[in-house]
Amino acid sequence: MGRRRRSSTTTTQTDPSPTTTTTSSMGDGGMGGGGGGGMMGAACYVYPVRPAEVPALDTPDIVYNRGIDMNIPMTMDDGTVVNMWGFSDTGGGGGGMGGGGMGNATFPSAAIRVTQGQIVHTQLNVGMMMFHTIHHHGIEPEYRSDGVGHISWDVQGNYTYQWRPMHAGTYFYHCHTNTVLHAEMGMYGALIVDPPEGPGTAFEGGPTYDVEAIWAVDEIDSSWHNLDWAAGTCGGDVGLNELNPDYFVITGVDGAQSALTAPGVAVTMNRGQRLLVRYICAGYLPQQIRFGGLNAEIIASDGRPLPNSVNVTKIDAVSAERYDCIIQTSQRGTYTVEVDIKDWITGDVLGTARTRITVN
Amino acid sequence: MKRRDFLKFSSAAMAGTALGGLGLVSWSPRSYAATINKTFYITEGMITQPDGVDVYFRGFSSSQGSLNVPGEQMIVQEGDTVNITIINTLNSSHSFAIDGISDSSVNSGRIRGGNRATVSFRADNTGSYLYYDARNAPYNRLVGLHGGIAVMPNGISDELYPGSPTFNNPLGQYFWVFNDIDPVWHNAIGNGQTPTTRYVPRYFTMNGLSGRPPGAPGAMVATVDSMADPRSKLDGHLGDRTLIRCLNAGKAQHAVHTHGNHMEWLSKNGNNLADVWEKDIVPLDANGGSVDIIFPFAPPPDAWPRVTNNTLRQAESEGRHFTFPMHLHDEMTQTAGGGLYMFGALTDIYYHSS
Repeated sequence: MGRRRRSSTTTTQTDPSPTTTTTSSMGDGGMGGGGGGGMMGAACYVYPVRPAEVPALDTPDIVYNRGIDMNIPMTMDDGTVVNMWGFSDTGGGGGGMGGGGMGNATFPSAAIRVTQGQIVHTQLNVGMMMFHTIHHHGIEPEYRSDGVGHISWDVQGNYTYQWRPMHAGTYFYHCHTNTVLHAEMGMYGALIVDPPEGPGTAFEGGPTYDVEAIWAVDEIDSSWHNLDWAAGTCGGDVGLNELNPDYFVITGVDGAQSALTAPGVAVTMNRGQRLLVRYICAGYLPQQIRFGGLNAEIIASDGRPLPNSVNVTKIDAVSAERYDCIIQTSQRGTYTVEVDIKDWITGDVLGTARTRITVN
Repeated sequence: MKRRDFLKFSSAAMAGTALGGLGLVSWSPRSYAATINKTFYITEGMITQPDGVDVYFRGFSSSQGSLNVPGEQMIVQEGDTVNITIINTLNSSHSFAIDGISDSSVNSGRIRGGNRATVSFRADNTGSYLYYDARNAPYNRLVGLHGGIAVMPNGISDELYPGSPTFNNPLGQYFWVFNDIDPVWHNAIGNGQTPTTRYVPRYFTMNGLSGRPPGAPGAMVATVDSMADPRSKLDGHLGDRTLIRCLNAGKAQHAVHTHGNHMEWLSKNGNNLADVWEKDIVPLDANGGSVDIIFPFAPPPDAWPRVTNNTLRQAESEGRHFTFPMHLHDEMTQTAGGGLYMFGALTDIYYHSS
């Protein structure tokens, strides 16, 4: 019934996910028309791994291990606690696998940082009651390492994505199962590909930088945050067509106040230093980022150098775009960076997230 | 007002009529200007959405008995004289307009119910355009009265504009016409009313269809599933380069996202860009916004092992499809009726061996 047929490929990859009886792609009998979207274990149109089609793996240069954590309380500046989901770092530095997909994830998930040309394995470990994937957004691997359920499969158990990044730049990784919900719930993290020169150079033969900031700007609709992982997949209206955000965050920090000073988000640099801003439009709605009056030189976008850099003081972006910008100034001061998140229909500003660049 | 009874079109019937007249196959480059004549019938009816809900639409249709949403794709050539006759089969007044395609205005003005009008213009300006009903804006456009028309450079078969990056051949070009649908608005318009509620789209289409994931009713049916619709899905061999003309008839701004390869971004809202950027996300403005992109069927750059023609042959011999998705990254567009992920505006990109 599926559009992708099974094959008899021999595989060396182990521990493929089994098919479950509680979660499987729905047969040809119809969509059911409602119900079940929010029920634990009721899922439609998810696609278990087909072991015979799983590709053989090469020896990796670097391995990242990721589990699933669906209990990440985030306290907003107004005191409200919103539950987030994410990928836990289950490697422990030693390359081992995590236990059943549980873990201590952060929002956003821990960054993946690799060097151009490395063979990378991302090992995903998902518990047995749900499905998830990892899609390395902007990275373009073989289709079975692309993490798109309807094209290849969703993951329950263990699965390893193999890829070799050939373009240095700014990317991010996110879940691609019931994506509309899972990415909004926070299942993403930065993905940085360094050039052969290493950190400090934006891309091969490209500009250098002294200081780096990763700003993943996102909106959160807290009314979505009590939904089940499979919400809506079997039909029924669970409101996933309408995003009404009430919080606006920069790299996991509330942009109302906290991001103005949060370590790792707010930037402190010296006059004359070169700051590389890796700006990721991590939400679904259009954004405009303004650099507090500072000039920003856009050198790359979506992991590709621009033919000619562009000098700006603001950037308009849409979902999942990335812009790499160099900022350098000889003027001391504190510059407030503002990111407006806009209604996708009216263009009205729904909220603004702020952080700072302090130049000493 | 009492709701009228409208003829109900299944999505299959809707797309089937559209597929019968692809503009792509009717055009080939020539060294002279021609006269192009086309007739559209303004019709109406109900189209069933993925969750089973019937929604009212109007279309610039190919016959009095069909409903085409969007209207048939057209490609003409720079310098052509284009005569478009509009036959309004409805009781309401409508119009036909294209912005920027000609040095003179292209707008039929009011076409009263039951009347007809012919719009004549010279296609002066190369590029991609939305034709639409400009009356009662934006309602008639949103409810389906729109379609894509392109002007190719004089005598050139593989460039968007003279000197642009090249695509394969005259047939290596596609329209992706996106729309977002608020059924409350549509049905109000069908009942002769002006919508008064906040616009909340619940369905999202490309070329009039939405996705059906594997196993869903209608999956892989070309007239139902946007992932199988030959007007939308891409097929290519390594080395192919496909031009895609993205037009947005809806009210929501979008983020066009391809997997498998970055796109080459050639134009935005009718303006050719000074530099061609390689992007995996291209912004598409609302309310008639457009972008032109080339999708290169290059080996996916980050695949290991490298993808070659032998890789594709191997996959085909094992019955596997070497495929990537295109979807809008404003992910609300991937839903239907508030859920049903993958029943929205998406399609697939198929790599084939040579």
